[in-house]
Amino acid sequence: MFLDQFASGTTKDSVIRLFFIIAGLIFFSLVTLYSISDDPLSFNSSFYRQCIFLIFSSIVFFVVKNIPIKIIHDNSTLIFIGTLILCIIPFFLPRVEYTYRWIDLGFFYIQPSEYLKCATVVVVAKYLSNHQLEVKDNSIIIIPCLLTLLSASIVLNQPDLGTAVIIFAPLLPMLLWAGVSNFTIFLMIAPIITILAASNIIFFTVWAFIMFCFFLTFQASVVNKTILYFANIFTGLLTPFLWNNLADYQKQRILTFLNPDLDPMGSAYHIIQSITAIGSGGLFGKGWGAGSQTQLKFLPVQESDFILSVIAEEFGFFGISCVMLLCFLLIKTLLDIAFRSSDYFASLVIVGLASILLSHIFINSAMTIGLMPVKGLPIPFISAGGSFLLSCFIMIGLVINFSKN
Amino acid sequence: MLKIENKADIFHYRALLFILCFSLFSLLGRYFYLQVIDFERHFSKSQVNSVKALTTYAPRGLILDRHGEILVDNYPTYILTVTPHDLEDRDIEFEKLSSIIDIDIEELNRRYKKYYRGRFLPTTIAKNLTFQQISQIEEMRLEFPGVQYERSDERIYSPILNDAHFLGYLREVDRDAVPKLDKTLLYRAGELIGWQGIEKEYEKELRFSKGVDYIEVDTYGREIFRLRDNNIPAFPGKDLSLTIDANLQRFSRSILEGKKGSVLVSNVDTGEILSMVSSPSYDLSVYRGTTSENEWNDLLKNKDNPLLNRSIAGLYPAGSKLKLITVIDLIANSLVDPSDSLMCTGVYIPPGSTNEFRCWQEEGHGLVDLNKAIAQSCNIYFYETVQLISLKDWTDTAKKFGFNEPTNVDLPNEKDGLIPDKDFYVKNYGRWGWSERGVLLNLTLGQGDILITPIQALRFINHIASRGVTPQLRLNLSKEISYYEKIEYPEKIWDHIWDGMYDVVNADLGSGWRARLDSSDIKLFGKTSTAENPHGEPHAWFIGFFDAQDTTYSIVVMVENGGGGGAVASPIAGDIVEYYINSSKFLAEN
Repeated sequence: MFLDQFASGTTKDSVIRLFFIIAGLIFFSLVTLYSISDDPLSFNSSFYRQCIFLIFSSIVFFVVKNIPIKIIHDNSTLIFIGTLILCIIPFFLPRVEYTYRWIDLGFFYIQPSEYLKCATVVVVAKYLSNHQLEVKDNSIIIIPCLLTLLSASIVLNQPDLGTAVIIFAPLLPMLLWAGVSNFTIFLMIAPIITILAASNIIFFTVWAFIMFCFFLTFQASVVNKTILYFANIFTGLLTPFLWNNLADYQKQRILTFLNPDLDPMGSAYHIIQSITAIGSGGLFGKGWGAGSQTQLKFLPVQESDFILSVIAEEFGFFGISCVMLLCFLLIKTLLDIAFRSSDYFASLVIVGLASILLSHIFINSAMTIGLMPVKGLPIPFISAGGSFLLSCFIMIGLVINFSKN
Repeated sequence: MLKIENKADIFHYRALLFILCFSLFSLLGRYFYLQVIDFERHFSKSQVNSVKALTTYAPRGLILDRHGEILVDNYPTYILTVTPHDLEDRDIEFEKLSSIIDIDIEELNRRYKKYYRGRFLPTTIAKNLTFQQISQIEEMRLEFPGVQYERSDERIYSPILNDAHFLGYLREVDRDAVPKLDKTLLYRAGELIGWQGIEKEYEKELRFSKGVDYIEVDTYGREIFRLRDNNIPAFPGKDLSLTIDANLQRFSRSILEGKKGSVLVSNVDTGEILSMVSSPSYDLSVYRGTTSENEWNDLLKNKDNPLLNRSIAGLYPAGSKLKLITVIDLIANSLVDPSDSLMCTGVYIPPGSTNEFRCWQEEGHGLVDLNKAIAQSCNIYFYETVQLISLKDWTDTAKKFGFNEPTNVDLPNEKDGLIPDKDFYVKNYGRWGWSERGVLLNLTLGQGDILITPIQALRFINHIASRGVTPQLRLNLSKEISYYEKIEYPEKIWDHIWDGMYDVVNADLGSGWRARLDSSDIKLFGKTSTAENPHGEPHAWFIGFFDAQDTTYSIVVMVENGGGGGAVASPIAGDIVEYYINSSKFLAEN
């Protein structure tokens, strides 16, 4: 398979490649931030601030890179609990922009949930690596699921649905990577699809059939399979019934919970402006600093959430393709490193971090082109923002650190 | 640390790689669709996006009198608008604004809600700002994101002629009202619209057509560049000349000063209304935004009802001018010989009844023929003769002369009046609660359930003066002449009526002798009426016409609860006619 050929070469090559890829992404970031800043060299411009953050993050990166992996492994539970506490602290502080996401350090707002993502990955990896022998046992998934749920529910209450989704993202890839049986993975996904499909009778019928085929191929006792299959079907059949029995305000509450930014006028406006910006870029874009949507400030939060739209408008499909290629290579390289890593724990952590980065990339891009509701998730290494940049550098620091084994 | 061998499966590696490729390629596909396939659409949209269309305004048309004197003019003011989306902090901005423009914050918030049209559309929150206030806001520009001002014209009324009733006024359009208005005129909430009178009737002509200036802006609405190519200029509304003679109008109003009532003067040959007064009136400037709630309530609660345009919407019993309807029926159907006389003893007792019906002249008129009956307005003559006519004939004739329907003068909210017919009586009094003979005794005196408006009386007198070929009444000088349905009677009928009306004013005992002109040979034809009503003194009426310089003019005077038509209304009519035929403009025009 030709894709496997990227995996050729040594881990050392991969690490060097990683540096170039990230440099490329940061180059795009700075070029774009320079373009959208009114006065790029003033202290308040997002370009200038991003440069400062980059220097600071690089220092942290080198620190993280050199922490012995053993220390991280042995203290992962401690790290996890520490970050959880950090995430709870904002609830006792005054709200910042109507949420409990940030801790005000005076010169800098820190968002602890950014680091909780990494901490959850590390603690789950540690658990899985410690229980490698029981990995074929279905019960192995219970602790990782509970740990993830714990983190996600705290973040959800801040409230920050976007980050909560990101915390869930690494769970399945890590379980898959750890060698949990396909049947177990399927059992985790199936109920979600069942509930989603339940709204439409045709989808539901098709899904029931597909599910049936899957159950036939899996090797498990017939009784178990039958019970699980019908449990799924009943969940699906009950869903519309339960939903319809909810009062309107309860439905509204659930819908608002699923999409807290439910402001039809506001977010629709953002998406329309973003799509117009992207679409009007064309093949090669309007040129650096010449995007009318961007420069006339029609495009909202353009330095972070919608920075891809700026790139799309000013550098066109060509620019976006470069960014997407870099993103592909970034994740691909991380998977290569994970695949080649000789250490089980390190390998799992790297896969988890790669999943986090990929879901950031995917959700952010999908949002700019209107495929997903506005969630306020930045894109790694490109969006401006100190906390997030720092957490990205910490992730890469961990990867490079762990790749040494 | 217990080192555990990594045993990652190539299958898992490929599965994750597949997810990676799938997600990134689907994103890239969407980007490709938007940027390459659908490029044209988005590109043109992005060009329009940064271009903001600014509405520009032009003045509303002026309203002039028949000689070109300006009755309603414009003066420039500024209106303040806010764009909700661009407001950074409404409370703080409104607080600062309220100190500059001197309007309560609550009032600003109230208007903001009232005229709100959408997040990105300007909402009018204040009008009538002075240049100084605008300069102050301009100086603090950066503290007011989302606040803009526009020039806008307000109406100003001639100080000598402040005639609220027919001129009407402008009002701000409510958000809820916009969908119901004429789409082609592009109203938006907070704009002014003609709401009464001429301003409403000729809204389409008077209203300017909006223009559009295209400017390139950023989302803060800051102007970046002015694009001149595609601008659409705004055009002012058309000026409107009225048939009103400002001087005559002023005189008529001054003569009704302190009385309640109405005066109408028209050119019979063209249907032009030269004067239309409704008294009491009020100052039109109450509509200019600064009127307090109290002032408004005073106007609304005033028992003299100054807001009512009595000329077209005031309903009154007609009085004895409707005796002329009886006359027409009598002669047309040859029921009496005009030269036959009846004896008026001052009292009439209908056959088979014990009720006494009295003449206004208690000692009686003696022998009365048709001519004398009209001239002296003898009740007994008509009590006797009306018994020869059927109710249906009588009401049909009355309706033929335009009663019971609007005159279609070019003003909104005209009332129909009422000529009660058989159906009406059955409905209101029951099948047996009335008798045809009985109600005719009332109807022939223009009393009972009859209600007419002064302008219907004007139409009636014009029908008589023009002998049935009558142009429609109108206030717009340039409107083409159109005619009411022709009323056909033999000439002798018109002659009899004219003779009678001539004697009303000019014969020795004519009830309207006080309308005679001292200074001129011009002879007035007229009819007085004293309309009894349950609200106090009778309403004094005079209707009349005269020929001057080959043109026929007509006049209606009605003084509400004024007393006798002969004593009160006739001298007023005489004064107005005398003023008019001696006025310089009348002389110059002819």
